[in-house]
Order: sequence, then C-alpha cells, then structure tokens
Amino acid sequence: MTLHTLNASPASAAFADCLRLLTAGDALLLMGDGVYAALAGCSHRAELDTSGAMLYVLRDDAAAAGVLDRVDGVTVVDIDGFVTLSEQYARQLAWF
Amino acid sequence: MIYALLVMSSPASGQCAMTAARFARGVLARGHSIKRVFFLDAGTGAGSATAVYPQDESARLQPWVDLAEQHGVELSLCIASALKYGMLDEAEATRYDRRRGTIHPAFTLAGLGQLVDAAASVDRMVSFGG
Repeated sequence: MTLHTLNASPASAAFADCLRLLTAGDALLLMGDGVYAALAGCSHRAELDTSGAMLYVLRDDAAAAGVLDRVDGVTVVDIDGFVTLSEQYARQLAWF
Repeated sequence: MIYALLVMSSPASGQCAMTAARFARGVLARGHSIKRVFFLDAGTGAGSATAVYPQDESARLQPWVDLAEQHGVELSLCIASALKYGMLDEAEATRYDRRRGTIHPAFTLAGLGQLVDAAASVDRMVSFGG
C-alpha cells in the first residue's frame, strides 16, 4: 500500500512509470503539473481509472491550473488531506 | 507520528517547494512532530537569505523560518548541493574565500548522513521533487 505523489505532466516518463507501478490499494495524489491527469474524459485519466488506485488531487494546484471544476471522480484534498493520506499509507513514492 | 521531509524542488520554479512547507505546517497541526527537513539539489535554494522574489508572489523563505523559530523544526541543507548553488554559511564563506555567507541562520549545512539518519528513524518520510 503506497501513496504515490505525481508532480509531472501526464506526457512525462514519470507519469508512465508511475502508472506502471500503480495497483489497487495504492493512492495517487496529483500535484503541480500532475493535476492535468485528473481531467475527466482525457486518456491519461482513463488509464489512471483502470489502475484501481484511489485518486486524489491537491486543491490549490488544481485551482492554479484552472482544472478544479473538471476533475469529477477524483477526490480534491487540501494540505490536511495530504497529511492524512501520509498517515494512512506508510510508504510514499514521489514521481517528478 | 514522527515525520521527516526531503525537499528537492527549487523554490524558484513551481509550487512544490512551498507545498512542502505547507505540508510541514499541516503535519504539526495534526499533532505529529518533524525530526528534520532535509533539502537536496535545487531544494537547497530554500535557505537563501539573499534571493529576491517578485513582491506579488508568496514568500519563499519565511514559511521555513517560521517552522524553525516557532516549532523548532531542524532545517538541513545538503552541504554538497548547497555549495554548488552558492548557499554558504559563514564558516564555508571563510573557507572558500567568499565575501559572506548566503544562507539564513535558521538553516544549517549537513552531510547526507543526516538524511539517512532521518529516514532510518522516523515513521514517515515524505519527499517533494520536481
């Protein structure tokens, strides 16, 4: 059970590598340029959905990118939520 | 729980370094403690006392200084990275014949052993990069 954090564009190698390791039972928090992977209806989002992992997006970063109202199905969290995720998952992998 | 943070993100690009500072504050707010924040590579820029950021952007240095001064959080800059990025304390400035130090006194220069020590002794290690 790993908390993955992705701070990289969905077009990056980091995204592809992260996707390869994501399994059901893991959580993925999208931040920075990673928030674009949360966009409902895009192909990268569909790939994340099929991984079975719980999907989260950092509120401030999604708002800054202008995608906050287009991430249906992904749980929006603030910093407190990020801390809570780190409590629940003993390991974190940072992709960037 | 006891946390340690590893910050590799440059404070000069993107939000991640400041997300790390907000995360640190959130960790403390939820009743946990932080053994150390270790800054590596471009992350060491967080300790700059001389960098100047646009006035309409959020402060990059003060959130870290507040964590150190108000909560006793240890802020360690990887010394090998720091020197390459021009982050010197007074001792290193003297050693390398630079006019003066460039890091804020809330930060200290430390070896990688401090990162290993933190990783081996805490409940949660959270990294910030990119």
